Amino acid sequence: MDEQIEPGRRAFLQVVGAAGAALMLEGIRGAARPLAARVVRGPDEPEAPNEEVAKILKDRFGDRTIQRGHVTLDMAASTEDGRFVPVSLESDLPMSAERYVKGVYFIIDHNPDPLVFAMHLTPQIGPLAVQTRVKMRRTSWIRAIVETSDGELWADYAKVETSLNGCG
Amino acid sequence: MEIGKGKILIPDRIAQGDVIRVQAVVQHPMDTGFFRDANANMIPPYFMKDVTVTYGEAEVARFEWTSGVSKDPMIAFPLRADREAPLIFTYKDNRGTSYQISVPIAFQTG
Repeated sequence: MDEQIEPGRRAFLQVVGAAGAALMLEGIRGAARPLAARVVRGPDEPEAPNEEVAKILKDRFGDRTIQRGHVTLDMAASTEDGRFVPVSLESDLPMSAERYVKGVYFIIDHNPDPLVFAMHLTPQIGPLAVQTRVKMRRTSWIRAIVETSDGELWADYAKVETSLNGCG
Repeated sequence: MEIGKGKILIPDRIAQGDVIRVQAVVQHPMDTGFFRDANANMIPPYFMKDVTVTYGEAEVARFEWTSGVSKDPMIAFPLRADREAPLIFTYKDNRGTSYQISVPIAFQTG
């Protein structure tokens, strides 16, 4: 099983950053406790889904587990214009006739209509790399969830700050 | 703006079997329904809500869109160019109007 492997630059930086911060603290305190105990919940974990997002997840995925990995959501950490927010989304999951990404779900938690877009795909689409532009009402967690043809759910998350409301 | 006009960008030279990048842009205001015009009247929601992509006879992708997709929607994704056939985007907006944009996928010879 390879789902323990965390892909993505952000995850790597997060671990390095957290370890670095922890080391600095250790230096200050002069204590020697294991690092892992404090690296429990990184800044990379999304907030709990609000009611509307929870309903979308339930409607689309039932009670299936959404695992982190195999998806890379690349978005700027802050954006000035909420009307045009670039999105880049990639996945290393196969796109073969036997197994492929059949669905992509893009959710902005605090938008009026959180499920901004969904894509239904076939193996004719090559290894997943999607670019588009979306609107944001305000700073929000964003969820990129992909569904494989055999029913697995994989995701990546990003928090994007915006000052200009692009949704009205 | 001419609603429904658009273009599909693909590489100039395509060989059979290439995975090409397809980028499609269509003109549409994508109004959310939450903004007012200069006279303070609400601008009703008006947006592309359904996109189907066919390659020859086969439907290869379908997108569900909302007014959260930016004005003049752009989408780019890869496609396995394994046959010569038209690539057709059919957009349908929330008023039920359909628009079609297409480009031939053809292979370089010689």
